[in-house]
Amino acid sequence: MVEATVMKNNIKIYRAMYELTQEQLAEKIGVSRQTVLAIESNKYLPSLGLAFKIADLFKKKVEDIFIYQKEEENENQ
Amino acid sequence: MNQKKYRQIRIAIIVFMALILSIAISIDSYLLAITSIITGIMFTVIVKSRAKIRVDEREIAIREKAANLTYAIFAPTIGIGSALLILIPVTNDAFYLEALGTVLAYLSLFLIALYAISYSFLNKKYGGSNSDEK
Repeated sequence: MVEATVMKNNIKIYRAMYELTQEQLAEKIGVSRQTVLAIESNKYLPSLGLAFKIADLFKKKVEDIFIYQKEEENENQ
Repeated sequence: MNQKKYRQIRIAIIVFMALILSIAISIDSYLLAITSIITGIMFTVIVKSRAKIRVDEREIAIREKAANLTYAIFAPTIGIGSALLILIPVTNDAFYLEALGTVLAYLSLFLIALYAISYSFLNKKYGGSNSDEK
């Protein structure tokens, strides 16, 4: 049995709650809009520093924004 | 000035430089060619300093992976290529191939040495060491 991990995030939801566009969020956390888009679509995992920055912006804990999921996968499959 | 505008201006500068360079080559003017290159570089530096270019961690990660991939492809290719050029029997028609192979072999060695030195330096900088854990 191999434990595969998946990282998901709620940035899109919190961004909607705070009525921020991707560009505005990118401006606030000091990255490009493409990076925000890549993080939202789980194509890029942000660094710990950036994750804390995003969590701090939404006044939440990192684990509220980023969800670490364990998926059990059978090696034989 | 945003990233998009910066890219457009950079492309315009490159096109202009290429145009001037082609004219310089056609009229055999080294001075014009050098002047156009220097002017192009100067314009690019000025535009870049005025543009708000954001280099974020994702872009740095992409650069790292691209550099790694380039090294992984280029080093073996040039190494094997140079070995083949040296091993090819020398004939009168292709007497320069061995010399070319030797140059490429030294180039690949230089590349590997440079990678090893920079790896060692960065490994030390970011806390890596070969000593046992105490």
